[in-house]
Amino acid sequence: MNGIDEIPASWFLILSAILFSIGVIGVLTRKNGITIFMSIEIMINAVNLTFITYAREWASTHGLIFVFFIMAIAAAEAAIGLAIFIALFRHRETIDVDEANLMHW
Amino acid sequence: MFELVIFFFFAAVAVIGALTVVLHPNQVVGAISLVLSFFALAVMYVLLGAPFMAALQVIIYAGAIMVLFLFVIMLLNVERDEIVVSRPVQRFLGYTAGSAFGLTVSYYLLKAAVIEAPEGSIFLSDARSVGMRLFEAYIFPFEMVSILLLAAIVGALLLTQRDVRRDATGGGETV
Repeated sequence: MNGIDEIPASWFLILSAILFSIGVIGVLTRKNGITIFMSIEIMINAVNLTFITYAREWASTHGLIFVFFIMAIAAAEAAIGLAIFIALFRHRETIDVDEANLMHW
Repeated sequence: MFELVIFFFFAAVAVIGALTVVLHPNQVVGAISLVLSFFALAVMYVLLGAPFMAALQVIIYAGAIMVLFLFVIMLLNVERDEIVVSRPVQRFLGYTAGSAFGLTVSYYLLKAAVIEAPEGSIFLSDARSVGMRLFEAYIFPFEMVSILLLAAIVGALLLTQRDVRRDATGGGETV
């Protein structure tokens, strides 16, 4: 196996878990829409790190292919989500997610 | 030894960048530190023996997606800087739930993660093997993703176009 064998894979997994929970905290505590979106990007990247770690551990290319698709879908999601925020700002003059309550029951 | 120093330094950079995104009130600072965090993650990919994925990470995330974020932040002019503070109970619950989630996931990763490398196999992560795999076994999802990206382009255009009727009456605002 190539790659650096000195660093155990569980350290990468722990780092990924830390980044994912930081993203969770951001989504749960912030009200700025753009910041919530960036927290989601942090979580996506944490998942990517997990995929690549397991791809190395199991010597498989499938994990890398998954990361490839996740990146493509994150790009599409960023484009659509930011367009939604622009439309929201145009109608409500704010990107505070608590103000977007038109469909609130 | 050298790799350990690299790992801990860039792990700290990634975590601090992510924390700055979550905690800093100014979202431009958050976007810049998110770029920093993505670069640190690219270094992690290099340490994992996947430099092609590191290049993709830098090009797609730091190069494309974050530029999009910065442009939108600029368009939405946050100079009024309405710092919206969430309620204390929401913050408390958010920090508690997030920390508990992270601790639980870390515990079970250390305790129960299955890490057993199969013997004798070689981790191929160069562009050639990834591309061969992509265009042989994954050709159908690849085409689906291209259609998805096309739909995202059309959807973004539709969502952000100006209201034509209000423009005709002269009341439309330009952004």
